[in-house]
Amino acid sequence: MASGCPPPFGDPGEMREGFLCPLCLKDLQSFYQLHSHYEEEHSSEDRDVKGQLKNLVQKAKRAKKKLLKREGDDRADSGSQERYESFSYGGVDPYMWEPQEVGAMRSHLSDFKKHRAARIDHYVVEVNKLIIRLEKLTSFDRANTESAKIRAIEKSVVPWVSDQDVPFCPDCGNKFSIRNRRHHCRLCGSIMCKKCMELVSLPLASKLTSASKEALGSHTSPNSSPNSVHGSRRGSISSISSVSSVLDEKDDDRIRCCRHCKDTLLKREQQIDEKEYTPEIVKLYEKLRLCMEKVDQKAPEYIRMAESLNAGETTYNLEHANDLRVEIQKVYEFIDALSKKILSLGLHEDPQPHPKTLQLQRMIRYSATLFVQEKLLGLMSLPTKDQYEELKKRRLHMVALETHGKQEEKQKDFISRSAAAVNGDAIHLKKGTVRKSEGWLPTSSISRESEIADPLLQQIDNITSFIKQAKAANRIDEVHMLQENLRQLQDEYDQQQTLKAIELSKKQAEEEEMQREELQVLREKEWEREHHKFMSRHSRTCSLDFREVKQHQHEVAKENRNLTAQALDLDITQIKRDPSFETPAVEQLPAKEHLTFTLKPQNVPQCDKDQTACLNPFEDEADTPQLEEDPANPFAKDTSPMVSFSNTALQSNKKAYNPFENEEEDEQTNGAPGSTSNPFEEDENPFQKPGGSWNSGNPFEEGSSTNPFEVEDGNDISGEEAIEEELLLQQIDNIKAYIFDAKHSGRMDEVEVLTENLKELKRTLAKQKEKSSC
Amino acid sequence: MNAVLAVKQYVSKMIEDSGPGMKVLLMDRETENVEFLIQELRRPKYSIYFIYFSNVISKSDVKSLAEADEQEVVAEVQEFYGDYIAVNPHVFSLNLLGCCQGRNWDPAQLSRTTQGLTALLLSLKKCPMIRYQLSSESAKRLAECVKQVITKEYELFDFRRTEVPPLLLILDRSDDAITPLLNQWTYQAMVHELLGINNNRIDLSRVPGISKDLREVVLSAENDEFYANNMYLNFAEIGSNIKNLMEDFQRRKPKEQQKLESIADMKAFVENYPQFKKMSGTVSKHVTVVGELSRLVGERNLLEVSEVEQELACQNDHSSALQNVRRLLQNPKVTEFDAARLVMLYALHYERHSSNSLPGLMTDLKNRGVSEKYRKLVSAVVEYGGKRVRGSDLFSPKDAVAITKQFLKGLKGVENVYTQHQPLLQETLDQLIKGKLKDSQYPYLGPNTLRDRPQDIIVFIIGGATYEEALTVYNLNRTNPGVRIILGGTTIHNTKSFLEEVTASGFRGRSTESSQVTPRSSSRR
Repeated sequence: MASGCPPPFGDPGEMREGFLCPLCLKDLQSFYQLHSHYEEEHSSEDRDVKGQLKNLVQKAKRAKKKLLKREGDDRADSGSQERYESFSYGGVDPYMWEPQEVGAMRSHLSDFKKHRAARIDHYVVEVNKLIIRLEKLTSFDRANTESAKIRAIEKSVVPWVSDQDVPFCPDCGNKFSIRNRRHHCRLCGSIMCKKCMELVSLPLASKLTSASKEALGSHTSPNSSPNSVHGSRRGSISSISSVSSVLDEKDDDRIRCCRHCKDTLLKREQQIDEKEYTPEIVKLYEKLRLCMEKVDQKAPEYIRMAESLNAGETTYNLEHANDLRVEIQKVYEFIDALSKKILSLGLHEDPQPHPKTLQLQRMIRYSATLFVQEKLLGLMSLPTKDQYEELKKRRLHMVALETHGKQEEKQKDFISRSAAAVNGDAIHLKKGTVRKSEGWLPTSSISRESEIADPLLQQIDNITSFIKQAKAANRIDEVHMLQENLRQLQDEYDQQQTLKAIELSKKQAEEEEMQREELQVLREKEWEREHHKFMSRHSRTCSLDFREVKQHQHEVAKENRNLTAQALDLDITQIKRDPSFETPAVEQLPAKEHLTFTLKPQNVPQCDKDQTACLNPFEDEADTPQLEEDPANPFAKDTSPMVSFSNTALQSNKKAYNPFENEEEDEQTNGAPGSTSNPFEEDENPFQKPGGSWNSGNPFEEGSSTNPFEVEDGNDISGEEAIEEELLLQQIDNIKAYIFDAKHSGRMDEVEVLTENLKELKRTLAKQKEKSSC
Repeated sequence: MNAVLAVKQYVSKMIEDSGPGMKVLLMDRETENVEFLIQELRRPKYSIYFIYFSNVISKSDVKSLAEADEQEVVAEVQEFYGDYIAVNPHVFSLNLLGCCQGRNWDPAQLSRTTQGLTALLLSLKKCPMIRYQLSSESAKRLAECVKQVITKEYELFDFRRTEVPPLLLILDRSDDAITPLLNQWTYQAMVHELLGINNNRIDLSRVPGISKDLREVVLSAENDEFYANNMYLNFAEIGSNIKNLMEDFQRRKPKEQQKLESIADMKAFVENYPQFKKMSGTVSKHVTVVGELSRLVGERNLLEVSEVEQELACQNDHSSALQNVRRLLQNPKVTEFDAARLVMLYALHYERHSSNSLPGLMTDLKNRGVSEKYRKLVSAVVEYGGKRVRGSDLFSPKDAVAITKQFLKGLKGVENVYTQHQPLLQETLDQLIKGKLKDSQYPYLGPNTLRDRPQDIIVFIIGGATYEEALTVYNLNRTNPGVRIILGGTTIHNTKSFLEEVTASGFRGRSTESSQVTPRSSSRR
């Protein structure tokens, strides 16, 4: 402690600092230690210490006073030192106390339930008893039965308490006399005076009894008829009975009972009412929910119809769709009306409803409006009849175009195939002995395969070009439709291809045997003699000499340049990959194409691989990953082995992306459309080396792993922008909310800052949009 | 042993039990509330009720509730013992003012205090041994009542035994009337002394030029980091920390304004903005509070007053003390409240001094125009906490150990004149922790005594604790490993509330004969 005290008592010759024990002058590290040291060591020492101490105290006081003066400077840091010191002492801040279990608790629920059950049982028994009696009392036609008979029935229902037993009214304590007559409760038989007597009217009785009957599920006759004839009976009976019975006559349409029974009955009535009563707002809200559900059901159906109609298809009837639209709109109006009604509930009543009730109503209205807004905007308009006709025509035209395109495509295909044949020869020469000795001709097998696949592939190709055209013409509906067609075609082709692949793999298994034998013999020779060629072929699997590969690639490229048809195709696909041109939905298409096309050219590398079987442990698995493999070169379908070759080259190129970054890919995709002659040439070579080294590991898995990458490639660019835009929009919203909040609480300076930010953001957003649109 | 956490756990358990959606939770204990509840259950407004009582409820109440629940809407009836106010993890209060009449308990307050204290024990799952201050009759009464409840509800108190049983120490405020009379200089205590903390809220409406949303602010260590870090620091440190906070804040502010060019900046801004806003709220709150404190300190000349107060409380130099008090009484800046306080401290300390000149000071007070209320309070305070009632000696230690201690205290106290004073509680607890607290002064209730040094200690002060003592307990917790202490009081006092307590307890001073009844609440100045 820096502010520790210079010993005021030590002799001047020996100045010692720190916490020194006043008695043994032992140096102790801290105040606390000194403290405890003192207590442990010296507490038992003699009292005469006191005198010595007093002396010390005096000195200390003087020192204290001296120190007091510089207290101003010291105060702050001494406090922190103190704090620091106490930390080192190992105690625990109460905030850091270890967690504890939740405190004691005791449940009274079982007790509570016991008492409640007893109470409810008792109550239910009582009520039921009374209601059964009430039913008996009202089950006959009171109006037309003689009063004596009534009395007899009443007495039979419940035994009456004898008059002698009750000299005073049990409720009010008045003595019964001639004037203060006894009255019996018809429900429990007890006695009370007239003042304390209650009456149960027949309607109430019938309500109670019928309710309990309903509850029991037995729908017997509701109840005795309301007595309409009771006026006529009055006089006839008055003669028979005494004065008291005259009094009785007044209420023959009611049943006398004591206060207790009446209370129980009233409570029961209340319960029945409550059970049946649903507040207005609940009723309306239930209706509202029903409407909303209806909309949720119908809207998707309508949207499907409208889409199809707008596309010019004839699957649905235009009129039918119109009807549905009207119907949905009506439901919306109904929802609107209902929510308005809920909003205005109770507003005109005199005691205004509770503010919370009003709030609830407002919230219901709000959510209903939101619902309507959201869903109504989603309803697209239908074409008018004329428009519809137009659309249908256009569609027919499109179909015609399609067929025409197919023919064209066939021709093109023919040309390209002949070109491929030439190429195939060239390659054949280069590949030399391996192929020949095998007796397995890749060209023929490929062309055979491709012949089978041709019509489907052509169709697909046509459609993709149509899509492009349609898009160029901004006909989104047609694009949709075409995409649908394309998808179907692709599915079919996929199926075909899988079958083929299975066949192929079987065949390969046979061939493999042969190949292996020969390979054993030829392998070593080949490694030396035909290093160059071998490498080129196996650039995917085990390229060792990159320069040679490059050379080879050049050759390939040169050859490629000759293939005009192929170049054309390449162009198309490259354009397709240009992100600014396409919506995400379309972007998926090329990906699918890749998937389907791969199988065919695969054969070439496949056979290569087979030759290197001993080198490549993955060979057997080769088929499956290859199925998924994406050579990213849709024009491979052109069936020339040359193409497939360049395809492999491209693939290795693609693989090269993995270790690199997106930018490079961007470069590639952006650069590709620019170089029309052969975009591969420039791009491939720089990537070849790393590509090769990558491949040496496991080419197949790598190849497939680039797959998703490639697909996302296009998405990424526009997707990133989309995300950024979205983010910006979100932030703008956020800031708006903050501004509102700040305004609300009157912090003008914050509002300024925020508006500034908002402007900034909007500017950035505009920039972003420009960027993405160009 | 964390009181705040205990209550929090109860609340979260309740919320968990009742599940999502709007349910009704009730925390009642009074018979009156039970009656309201019965009425509510007879005509229920909700479909389901979860009822939680914050203390032990009688069987008959449960029965009458059950019988009222004819519609079977009650889904839960439980006792959760959260029947106290958790101020800090180690401090709780019952918010009871004026718990005693004279030297004896007000019966209603006694039962309330017993309930509160047992609720705390239950919520912390402690079944303690009880020690009490012998000199105080009310401490003994309370100890007996708590013991009674523990015996009666033995099923509830059947917790897992710990090696060293926890200890409940019951003290009486009258033993240390000095502590609540001193001006405080640590943040929490100072705020309470000068502004008043009421359930973690402080009322700033009297601050000149206060803005609307700072009229009443919440100071809660639970969700105010700055407060949590600074509540036990002294005023000077708070000042510098506030400055740092401000600087930090200002450094942030322009940064937000300048760099908003890229998307990343915007994103960062939007993410940080709520935090920034929260910080600005904290800053403005604490700046206001500290600003007001420092205004009051300047206006009331509190530095000087406090220095003399500390001298009165900690030193034994009568003539210098008297001289200083006299001097301050002449100072027009010193408020009548502070003047009366000084005289009270003098009266308590030098009550039996040979050259006691209290009458002279009283005349000075009168001449100064200090209202009669305060003048009467001087004698009332002496009556409340004078030498006659004190069990332990507050001012002059007798044995060598104590003298050395005071000497050491003196050495240490040099560091800060304003916080020299250590409450008596420090000494008491220190001895208790070391196992040296005398059984003769603080006997055990019942035959059992604690052999080992106690580990879990619950101290309860009848007549109210203070934040200075809360700080003491906090420091003791931190400096003694393995020891956990919780401090509680019938309330938490500042000088004003302490004087109200003294008044409410019926000590009205010698001049009570005049029929004038002292009004309870009063303006401070």
